[in-house]
Amino acid sequence: MNSTSGKWGRRRWIVLGIVILFFLCAKSLGLTPAGLIPPDETRWERAGAFFKAALSPAMDYQDENVPEDAPPIWLKGLYGLLLTLKFAFGGMSLAIPLALIMGFFGSSSWWPEPRGRILDLFLRGAFFGFRFLMSLLRSIHELIWALLILSAFGLSPLAGMVALALPFSGTLGKVFSELIDEESRDASTALKAIGHRPLQTFFVAMLPAALPNLITYSFYRFECALRSSAVLGFVGIETIGLYIELSHEEFYYNEVWTYFYLLLALIVLVDFWGAGLRVRLNSFKGGCEA
Amino acid sequence: MSSAFELNGVTCRFGDLVAIDEVSLSIEEGEQVAFIGPSGSGKTTLIRLLNTTAVPNDGSLSVLGNAIADQSVESLRVLRSRVGTMPQHLGLVENLTAIQNVILGRGGQRSTLRSIRDLLVPSRGDTEKIHQLLERVGIEEKLFTTVSKLSGGQKQRVAIARALFQEPEILLADEPVSAVDPARARDTVRLLAELSRELGFTLCVSLHHLELAKEFFPRLIGLRHGRVVFDGAPDLLKDQQLESLYELTADEMMTDA
Repeated sequence: MNSTSGKWGRRRWIVLGIVILFFLCAKSLGLTPAGLIPPDETRWERAGAFFKAALSPAMDYQDENVPEDAPPIWLKGLYGLLLTLKFAFGGMSLAIPLALIMGFFGSSSWWPEPRGRILDLFLRGAFFGFRFLMSLLRSIHELIWALLILSAFGLSPLAGMVALALPFSGTLGKVFSELIDEESRDASTALKAIGHRPLQTFFVAMLPAALPNLITYSFYRFECALRSSAVLGFVGIETIGLYIELSHEEFYYNEVWTYFYLLLALIVLVDFWGAGLRVRLNSFKGGCEA
Repeated sequence: MSSAFELNGVTCRFGDLVAIDEVSLSIEEGEQVAFIGPSGSGKTTLIRLLNTTAVPNDGSLSVLGNAIADQSVESLRVLRSRVGTMPQHLGLVENLTAIQNVILGRGGQRSTLRSIRDLLVPSRGDTEKIHQLLERVGIEEKLFTTVSKLSGGQKQRVAIARALFQEPEILLADEPVSAVDPARARDTVRLLAELSRELGFTLCVSLHHLELAKEFFPRLIGLRHGRVVFDGAPDLLKDQQLESLYELTADEMMTDA
């Protein structure tokens, strides 16, 4: 009785602490409920127009100057989605091999035992070096990477892909190394006992054991890459985000919603696909009977 | 006959715990030996010493005529590829298929690249050989089944097939019946003893189950507190010795509880 009430007492203090912290942050940032209300007439109208447009996405361009023979807006939207997919896919295709290499060196489960001093120093150096590199890559958001790369190399499709690949490889690599290190070592211990080399057990036992989790996680990251790829449009890379940004600048809110709905449809589709994949991989791992 | 194992005053400690205490014994090639004794008597450590994944703190050990103390890391590894080990928890890769697990039995004799290729595209010769082995252990229809979908008994058969594919000169099995029901346990122990005679490899099994040890093994080695308290044919094992093997004195029950 006493211990539970003690535990609850502690939890209550933690919750109270979080609430107080929120109000302190809100106060220091000058946050008031009034900030949620548009300050003047024009803003009210604009907000109203924006949300009203959600009910009537554009079936045709709102811009009068679009030439007659231009493709219909939904086709332009689909093309934008295709570009978004290409960037997401290209970014992930660069990120996964990078992540596998960094994740391998950021994992300690394949280190030989016993090992000499020099090898030990080398492995530890690589371990901390790659862990640091992965932290660095993922601590900078893909949008910031995009701005940095664009300012250095100019606007090019490769810049968008690399901007996605860098932070994603950092996150993927960290999770890869953790997934591999968390796998049971029973199999690799058994194989070492019959003469396998430590590195060999990494490739034939640890990596295969972790593979379903690696694939599931990569797929989840692919969904994230899709959203990020759309966002890269806002810094000028040609994805659906660029079309959204251009229509938004001209107050063509119905067009904005058309693009939103197309993007939503794509995300939902990929989500379903990913869910199906997860079910298959989990049954592959043998949780339930087929 | 030459000796599979020679132990001379071997002691193995883990921190303050003396797991194996000045053990001297010799096992000839082709013998079938069961290590018996209560849990904590040193059976698993003895198996780990014999497959050289643990090293003696004192005394000398030689495996297949090779003194362990003189071996380099690489020559120890090669020696291990000649000695099969079936660990208590089998050590299978659960989300690989039966054939993929069995083919890894020969990994110690093959390069890393070859092993990766074996997993992706097993050679026709290996596939045929493994099919025969699975037939011998009674699960040939499970060749391409993922191990996680197999029952405990079937997994054990995969582990036995992996050990056979290695074509070891010695097979060590640590408590091979701890995870299966009594009827299966008897089948497994009989199968191992049969295979050892048929294929001519030395067999050393640690067994908690005394009746099975007596039934299938011509030589029993009894361990207690890391020392050999009995070594001989099953019919020489006296009730009195059994008592000293398994029964705890009032003193020990106190410390155990």
